[in-house]
Amino acid sequence: MSNPVDLALGILDHQLLDADGRRCGNVDDLELEGVRDGAPRAEMILVGAPVWRGRGRLGRLAAALAGGQTVRIPWGEVEKIDSGVRLKKPAHEYGLGRGDDRARKLVAWIPGANR
Amino acid sequence: VKKIFDIALGILAAIGGFVDIGDIVFNTAAGAMFQYQLLWAVVIGVGAIITYSEMCGRVAVVSQRAAFDAVRERLGFGIGLLALVAGQLVNLLTLAAEIGGIALALQLLAGLPFRILLVFAVLGLALAIWALPFEWIERVFGYVGLTLLVFAVGAIKLHPDWGGVGSGFVPHADTGNLAVYLFFVVGLIGAATVPYEVYFYSSGAIEERWTPKDLGINKANAIIGYSLGGLLSFALMITAAELFYPRAISPETLGSVALGANVPLGEIGLLLGLIGILFAVSGAAIDTAFSGAYNAAQFFGWEWGKYRSAVEAPRFTLAWMVMLVLGFLIVVTGVDPIQVTEYSVIFSVVALPATYIPILLVANDRAYMGNYANGRVANVFGIFYLVVILVVAVAAIPLMIVSNMGQG
Repeated sequence: MSNPVDLALGILDHQLLDADGRRCGNVDDLELEGVRDGAPRAEMILVGAPVWRGRGRLGRLAAALAGGQTVRIPWGEVEKIDSGVRLKKPAHEYGLGRGDDRARKLVAWIPGANR
Repeated sequence: VKKIFDIALGILAAIGGFVDIGDIVFNTAAGAMFQYQLLWAVVIGVGAIITYSEMCGRVAVVSQRAAFDAVRERLGFGIGLLALVAGQLVNLLTLAAEIGGIALALQLLAGLPFRILLVFAVLGLALAIWALPFEWIERVFGYVGLTLLVFAVGAIKLHPDWGGVGSGFVPHADTGNLAVYLFFVVGLIGAATVPYEVYFYSSGAIEERWTPKDLGINKANAIIGYSLGGLLSFALMITAAELFYPRAISPETLGSVALGANVPLGEIGLLLGLIGILFAVSGAAIDTAFSGAYNAAQFFGWEWGKYRSAVEAPRFTLAWMVMLVLGFLIVVTGVDPIQVTEYSVIFSVVALPATYIPILLVANDRAYMGNYANGRVANVFGIFYLVVILVVAVAAIPLMIVSNMGQG
């Protein structure tokens, strides 16, 4: 991924999809390099409630209420960008989708939960 | 031929799915109080919901982004979060109103205590959501909801003054109490445009796996389905105008709404009317519970969709369950469901611009939409209705206070 993209409108807050097409979080923030040289590149995709702290006053409040962990995904893990940001590997290899893993235990026992 | 059949089935479901407890309450009350004078407000509301449903359906199909994907991408995290909170509060209030409406309809049909029927209502909804595939949910409730057409038959049989009905489509205020009149304008527009419809419609397009080939179905469902759905609103207002306006009765219960089918058509009319109300409102309750789950999942990036199993989309599944429980808890406190309905409609108008603005922005973005971006017609209607909704949103709360919730 070395094509120029609009980081603010084209990446930030977009859906993350893993190698299996599973939705596994949003791009909550980005770590940039080279801002000073005038040629910013995205280095890391940041995911998780603590990251919202960098997203304004309401973000700070939401982060404080939500807790959780930050997941950092190197930009090189991006397979392609279309309606979402598609990653090269399954979500669990990045530590993404843990919320769904926890919630799964609560619903999996109900008959028909696998349909 | 199969294609036409499919389109027809979709349209039928849209007609039956259009009316919810807010439409029932506001159209009946408006007819009782202002006869046919406010029919024009329904037309505005229906125009707005058609315009924005078509748009958000098209955005979902072409860009694979549902309503709250667009909200967060375009408004950012902070303002997007505000839009989410506002949208969810309105969804909850609406859901509480719909659940209350189901229990009221069941009470008229079965006569058990209200609180027990609330439990039945919520369990029934949960079971239907759990057991039925997405397409079936839409269709079962939409089709049976079509029995609301007895109100259209009833309206005709009551021999309304058709000249008066016609003049109701031209905005005019022949009343001593302008604040109440305007409050009802807000309520009728709000009832026709409740935000869950747009949230649900856009996510539904992805649930049904529409592709650009289905954009014709999208257009037909929105335009024809909702226009004909609007006819049901007219019918409710006209029957109320015939039955209650001359006697200066204000219909304060769902039972008096059902009289609109009972008086002209007898026992069978009453039964069909109540079944129509029961299924239309149940369908709306499911749509609202799903909307809450869609919104949260899209904003936070969770896996979502009824096309996924509960195990595949567990947080989404928990979210609609939580919505049902919270909606139940609100209405089981003993608040009057009709009052909850009125508040939900008024507050939903206030929250509406936060949904319409990002949809309009994304629908105009050629990077997302390519050749399917808004054309001139969609933009003229889109901007016109956005301005209308903004005015209504600003006026809603002041009018609610000045008119004493329409009581004068």
